[in-house]
Amino acid sequence: MKETDIQLMFCGSAGDGTIAVGDIFKRAMAKAGYKVIAFDIYPPEIRGFGKCISRVRVTSRQAYSLKQESDLLVSLNDSYAIPHVPEVRDFGSVIYDNAPITSMAEGEHISGHLLPGQLPYGLRIREISDQTTGGSKSKNIVALGYLAGLLGIKQEPFHQIIGDKFRHKGSAISESNLLAFDTAYAEGASTFRLDFIELGAPERQEIGSKVQMMTGNAAVVRGCLDAGLDCFFGYPITPATSIMERLATELPRRGGRLLQTEDEISAIAATIGAGYAGVRAATATSGPGLALMVEMLGLGVIGEVPAVIFCSQRGGPSTGMPTKTEQSDLHLAVYGGAGDAQRIVLAPTNVEGAYRCAGKAFEMAEKYQTPVIVLLDLYLSNRYETVLLPRQNPFEADSVKHRSNVERGVPYKRFAFTDDSVSPRTIPGEEGGIHVITGLEHNELGRPNDQSDMHTRMSEKRHKKLLAALDHPGITIHKRFGDQGRVDVGILGWGSTVGEILEAMLMAQAEGISCSVMKVVMLSPLPNEPIRSFFDDCAEVLIPELNYEGQFANLVASAVSKPFTRLNRVPGVPMQVADILEQIRRLAGRAKSSNAA
Amino acid sequence: MGNLRQPVYLEEKLKQVRESGRLDIRSKALPTWCPGCGYFSIVDGVAMAINKLQISQKDVTIVSGIGCASRFPFFLDTYGFHTLHGRTLPVATGIKVANDRLTVLAVGGDGDAFAIGGAHIPHAARRNVDITYLVFDNGIYGLTKGQTSPTSVLGFTTSTSPYKNQDQPLNPLLMMLSYGTSWVGQSYAGDPRHLSEMITQAMAHRGFSYLHILSPCVTFDKTSRTYINLKAQVRWLPDDHDSSDKMAAMKYAMDTDNPPIGLFYKESRPTLADNLDLVIESARGRGARATV
Amino acid sequence: MGSTQHYVIIGNGVAGNEAAFHLRQRDPESRITIITAGRLLFYSRYELPRLFHENCDWRDFLVHPVEYYVDNRINVRRNSFVTHVDADRKKLMLAHKEEIHYSQLLVASGGASYLPAELDEFAPLLNGFNLYSSACKVRDILPQKGKVVMLGGDVLGLDLARNLVSDGYQVVLVTTEQTFWPHRVESDERALFIGALRDMGVEVIEGVKIERIEQGAPGMSARHIQFDNGREIFADVVMPFLGLLPAADFMMGSGVDFERGLLVSTNLRTTDQNIWAAGDVCQIWSPEENQYRFYYGWKNVKKMGEIAAKNMTGEDIHWETATDQKLFIDKNRQLISPYWEHD
Repeated sequence: MKETDIQLMFCGSAGDGTIAVGDIFKRAMAKAGYKVIAFDIYPPEIRGFGKCISRVRVTSRQAYSLKQESDLLVSLNDSYAIPHVPEVRDFGSVIYDNAPITSMAEGEHISGHLLPGQLPYGLRIREISDQTTGGSKSKNIVALGYLAGLLGIKQEPFHQIIGDKFRHKGSAISESNLLAFDTAYAEGASTFRLDFIELGAPERQEIGSKVQMMTGNAAVVRGCLDAGLDCFFGYPITPATSIMERLATELPRRGGRLLQTEDEISAIAATIGAGYAGVRAATATSGPGLALMVEMLGLGVIGEVPAVIFCSQRGGPSTGMPTKTEQSDLHLAVYGGAGDAQRIVLAPTNVEGAYRCAGKAFEMAEKYQTPVIVLLDLYLSNRYETVLLPRQNPFEADSVKHRSNVERGVPYKRFAFTDDSVSPRTIPGEEGGIHVITGLEHNELGRPNDQSDMHTRMSEKRHKKLLAALDHPGITIHKRFGDQGRVDVGILGWGSTVGEILEAMLMAQAEGISCSVMKVVMLSPLPNEPIRSFFDDCAEVLIPELNYEGQFANLVASAVSKPFTRLNRVPGVPMQVADILEQIRRLAGRAKSSNAA
Repeated sequence: MGNLRQPVYLEEKLKQVRESGRLDIRSKALPTWCPGCGYFSIVDGVAMAINKLQISQKDVTIVSGIGCASRFPFFLDTYGFHTLHGRTLPVATGIKVANDRLTVLAVGGDGDAFAIGGAHIPHAARRNVDITYLVFDNGIYGLTKGQTSPTSVLGFTTSTSPYKNQDQPLNPLLMMLSYGTSWVGQSYAGDPRHLSEMITQAMAHRGFSYLHILSPCVTFDKTSRTYINLKAQVRWLPDDHDSSDKMAAMKYAMDTDNPPIGLFYKESRPTLADNLDLVIESARGRGARATV
Repeated sequence: MGSTQHYVIIGNGVAGNEAAFHLRQRDPESRITIITAGRLLFYSRYELPRLFHENCDWRDFLVHPVEYYVDNRINVRRNSFVTHVDADRKKLMLAHKEEIHYSQLLVASGGASYLPAELDEFAPLLNGFNLYSSACKVRDILPQKGKVVMLGGDVLGLDLARNLVSDGYQVVLVTTEQTFWPHRVESDERALFIGALRDMGVEVIEGVKIERIEQGAPGMSARHIQFDNGREIFADVVMPFLGLLPAADFMMGSGVDFERGLLVSTNLRTTDQNIWAAGDVCQIWSPEENQYRFYYGWKNVKKMGEIAAKNMTGEDIHWETATDQKLFIDKNRQLISPYWEHD
């Protein structure tokens, strides 16, 4: 069967329906049974007509990341699309309006900017929109219809998605858009094809799971709901806001409560309060918000209160680049706050992982009585992937919330030392378990105590209990891909960049380089032993990440004594696969020559 | 409230409590406050209120921040959460959202409330979170050994204002009234009986109740808010004060020379929990039709 | 030469590309733009018959690799249509309303297939072969050993005919006055050439006129042709090869003198001093014959491109009137047109 792997890019302004048309395309392709990975870029401006780009990669098997080059570009606004023309591969295509309403100076039309190897497909986009819908608003639908016709993609899934999309606007608008689509589709279908963009048949669905297309943030929401989230507290911040927005609709339907707090401090405080009161509670933020939260996070650590914090990273420091992606809050997530405050930090690497980590975070928070940070980034939060969700809820929605061990007539030892360092726990309202939780160092009863041996024992307790999380069931803590055993180059990765890393690994393998990837999902506590044995297997180790300091590399450096190579980039966009590949090649060469020596 | 006008003494109060067998609400821990601190009477006031309102201790959670008042939860045998400086209200809100059946008190000093925690107060008030907020206002930072606070009077000399405090003090009552607090009252530590009665009323109120408690710092304030000064300054709110009249309440709140004590304002409106229940109801009503 | 020059070439064929090459050689700093209606870079039309016996696509027909255009900074504006030229303002307008300024303009837009008015109504049932896309269409609809009916049979058609026959297809040639165009065939030679075609394996039908062309009935051949003498034949594809007409409608109103093609003097300059013409679109003054005349074929057209480019960049080279190249039969008794020669 022919493998499908094409990537389309829609570029225009916010007013052109650029993101909307990308959305219809990817939904239609997912409906048709293809695997999709997609990432939209919005303007930082709140309103108006800033540049929007929607990139959609359609494959027969789930891809790890988007490609550097697209096979086809649809321009809905030439001045925005022109800078992106070089992203279209040789012999790829560019679809644009060749009947704009106003005349223009030389160079303003995209057709003058195509590279020699690219194929121009000019279409009377605006005219067709006018003729079919009576206005130019449906230019995006016309372009979509044309490309679907040109590429010979079946119309049905598009009809369904367009129908759904415009249903609430009334049947007249829905029908005129369908007409716009069909008219352009016919044009496309009758246009002689010169490109080599081919779609194979979609793969069949796996049994026992459900294929859905969603963003990382939507997957987080699904994970929260499946894990039985009770309360959510949040403060809007890009790129985490959509988690709260989605939950605002979904959570109350399941009887849950959501409160938009006055700031991030209040959000985490209320989350800790609710966790203390015995329910599953979470908040979501980005770096600047997490910076405000770490003091309260420390209270959760010393008070041993379950809480889940989702942090979707963006460019920093400070306000930084709110609409750009980065992985630079790792230090903050792992170390941020006063004192020795170890907590669990999970960083999913893809959308499905975002779902798993979200749900498992609640189990872990309760089981180990600790705050858990789930670290995402803008790229993962906003990118779409088709994911296989298990038909059966994989989370212990009603796990052992606490082990009270109440004894009558004895003061309750909320912080009792135990074999696994996890203490019994009661929640307010429970008979016989009255206790006070405090941010002061305390004894087993929870009474303030600053004796040196007590502080030593309590510090040890708080650290040791988390190690069990490294074997927590039902979640990937780390995983190795590619060649097994000894390899020339090992690439260690975390977070969304693992997608690009895996793509680079596949390319390197195709070039005959022996290489292997290890992704690390749990960043705190760090799975030291597996990382060390990975180092033992690799002649060279590369750690690519989207931050300037090499924050993950710094963590790894504290776990292993062997040298490795850092690849740190802060472009604000996902790392380039070619960039990683180049480093792999270089290291493979070095491994070869040192082998020879 | 005429029966509250006789002077009462702490010893007498404790005797009453002991006799009524309500001392078990107090924990075994000894308060860490200075002898003569106004906060002792507040602990007793709360213990008596819990007793009077017949609330089971296991269903009470007291949330404190940082400051002298923050040790408060340790001195009562209820659930407690000694949190961070200024963050009592959001933590208390979280507890209340999680479990509305709990009786939740938030306690704090004037610094915890109006300096570092000032941003949270209007939101707890406007949301009408069903908690009782007791602010122990001694006009000074006691735990850190005597610095100015947002309610320190002009000209007050402290370790951080050796050349006299230049900053206009806040008017907490006026703030709370304007924030839409649904129950606003004032008492003072020198009148334990009045204090206990006011705490009971505040806790009985369904919604966000704010009790401002004027309280001397016997160690670091020898000149300003002393028992003697307070006793000379405070006045009873007139009997004819209409506690549903917010404008009148504001007028009395502006009298800082002779702070009136008593119930300033009270209104009945849906609590945060009521509103969140409504959200669930409407979400479920809509949910049937909406597509995901 | 000044680096501010913008040479615009309308047409992406042999003449235009040859001119672009020489312009770049002679004026390295200038801007060079080729404007073409097609979507593809310059490809060899002579190679198109390869489609019938090879698994190939347009990339195999490209005359220059993609990098050539990058390296030589030749911007080929494809899928663009010139609507008119304003010689006074040295501007031309594209159909998508973009205005292009030129310093020097070379019109090398070639010729379009000629279709007489009486065949107009059958146009949807006819297939051309002048473009990659139309060639692919013929390849796709023509079954193995299928039958092609060729109307006329100019040199382009005859070139295809000999390729089709050697690939095992049946070719029926219906002669018209354009048969052998642009060669002028003397009446005494004509029978000889027709005979050579028949020897080649082409079925030749002479002295008839098309009455009707119809879509064949389902299950039958795709085309059904009726002649005026009552005869009818069936075919899979019907292709007109009736010569070329200069394609320069957009020059109407530019003020440049125009007869059948653009009129140029021997230095290939039109009547506007900044506009030049080369290839099948132009008629060159022949002092010897005292008339403007066309020259065809790859060699001629290429030479025109070179001369135009050189003159646009300051040379003064002149086209020399040449005698018509003749159709002939070689020693292997094969019909040969010098116009089939190309690199």
